[in-house]
Parts: sequence; structure tokens; C-alpha cells
Amino acid sequence: MTPGLVLAAQRGDTMAMNDLLTELTPYLGRICGPIALDSGPDAVQEALIAIFRHLPDLREPEALHGWARAIAVREAVRIARRDGRSSPAELDGLPSPQDVERAVDIRDVLERLPPEHRAVLVLRDLEGLPEEAAARLLRVPSGTVKSRLHRARASFRRAWQG
Amino acid sequence: MSWPVADLDPVRRLRALAAAIPGAYVAERVIPAPFAAVWAVAGDLEKEFGTFEPDMRRLTLDSARPDGRLVARARSRYGMRARFDVDLRPGWCWMQSRFLLVGLAATAVPEGTLVAQTGGVRVPGRAALVPWGVRAAGDRALARLAARVAGRPV
Repeated sequence: MTPGLVLAAQRGDTMAMNDLLTELTPYLGRICGPIALDSGPDAVQEALIAIFRHLPDLREPEALHGWARAIAVREAVRIARRDGRSSPAELDGLPSPQDVERAVDIRDVLERLPPEHRAVLVLRDLEGLPEEAAARLLRVPSGTVKSRLHRARASFRRAWQG
Repeated sequence: MSWPVADLDPVRRLRALAAAIPGAYVAERVIPAPFAAVWAVAGDLEKEFGTFEPDMRRLTLDSARPDGRLVARARSRYGMRARFDVDLRPGWCWMQSRFLLVGLAATAVPEGTLVAQTGGVRVPGRAALVPWGVRAAGDRALARLAARVAGRPV
């Protein structure tokens, strides 16, 4: 991504906005997919709407991806909650070893986690964000990220080993 | 094992881009025909575009730039000429001139093909449209497109 593309889009060049959309969409799809699951396409759409509406506020074009990631994670959690396809965020409801053994891919495990826990997994395991940064982005205490991650990872580990 | 990835179909893409353009309206319509049949009409800028886009009489593709972007010359029903930058791909067309914007998208749905259109007169130099008449123009363009796909006179 060239900062020039962001600046042109901020100035109102819709061809630049179109190109920026092309560039951001695969990245947002990787962020929103694991968090919003079946609602992933809606989450990507809503994330892009929020990103483009607020694009004039982005002061540092180089920060585009981190800024877009934060918006996408929050939108994906919101859309997943709205569509109610996930179980409530009860940690006791995490997958049993028997369930996990039947899991054929990551999706099976993700479906058993609430969206907030999926968001932690995406930020820490996919994006490699430090705990503090993930907590800031999700607007929760660092300890919450830690406990969510511990539980989510435990279910993943069982799935991988199963 | 792989992480799930979310796709963005062209109609959702159009909604996202149009949402950033004050004054833009997205007209949508399901055409009961396969995607290939719909896009054979919608994506044929030189032969078909003028049959359904209300203000467009003739459009000529001029040249392709090294980045794959097309350049088109258009003439409106009122005789005005415009030079457009064009991004044309299956299910997606985005065109911008100094004074006009046109966006068209299509994606397969169980009932046929969902098509979406946006566009209008641009506020010069800005990502904004003069809002008057965009809703009626968009709905009319898609009604004409549906009729064209069905082989009816438009």
C-alpha cells in the first residue's frame, strides 16, 4: 500500500477508494472470517463502511492496516453478536474433549467460542499482537485477554492434538 | 487446518463504497437470470451500457493502462462528452469522470442475480454526488437492465 493511495482517497478520488477497497478486502476477510463466521461477509461490508466513512480522520496513512484492523475486529464482534449465531460467552460452555475430537477444522472449534474469544485468538495468534495491544483494541483489561486466550487456546490445542 | 476467510461479493462491495459517497443511493434488484447472462449485458460497456444507463448514449473503450485500468470516452444523451477511468471485472464496474460516477455490481443469488447500481452527477473534485434524482435514475437503470436481459424492448 502506498500512502499516496490513501491520500488520494482522502481527497475524494473514488478510483483511489476503489483501489483501496481492493487492497483492504482480503485482509479484512481474514480478520472478520474467524470472528463473525457465517456473518463474515456482512462484517467485512460493515467494517469497510466504517473505514471509508472515517478515512478522512486517519492522520497517518502508514497506520492504515492497524487502524482498519481495529475497526474490523470490533465490527466483526458486533455483527456476530447481532446475528446471534454464537453461544453466550459462558466459559463453562467451551467445547468438551469429545466435541473437539469430532472437529475437522478450526471452524468447528471457533463455533463453540463466543465472538469476543474468537477476536482474542485472531489478534494474538493470527495477527501476533501483544497482550496489552489486544486488550486496548478490544477495550477490556489485559487480564481478560489473558484468560480468554488461555481458554480458547486450550480448546484449540485439544482440537489439534485430537 | 485453515482459518475461515470471509468473502466480499461485488454487491456488498458496492454498498461499502457508496456509503462513503454522500448523496449516493444504491438501487438493488434481483433479475431472474443466471449471472453470466446478466453480466453479458451489464458488463458490455460499448454495446449495452447505453441501453440501460439513463444518461449514457455511447461509450467507447479507448485504451488499457499498464495497471489494467481502462479509459473510456462517453457521450451523454444531451451531447456532453466525458473521459472515464474504468475498473471493469466480472460482477464489478466502477467508472469515474470529473463530473460523473457510475457503479454497477452483480452477484449470483438463489433466485437469479442480484444487481446493484449507484452513480450520478459528481460534486466536482469530491467523493460526493448531487443527490437529486439519483434514486429514480438508479431504479430506472436496473429496470431497463432487467428488461434488456429478458430480451424485451427497453
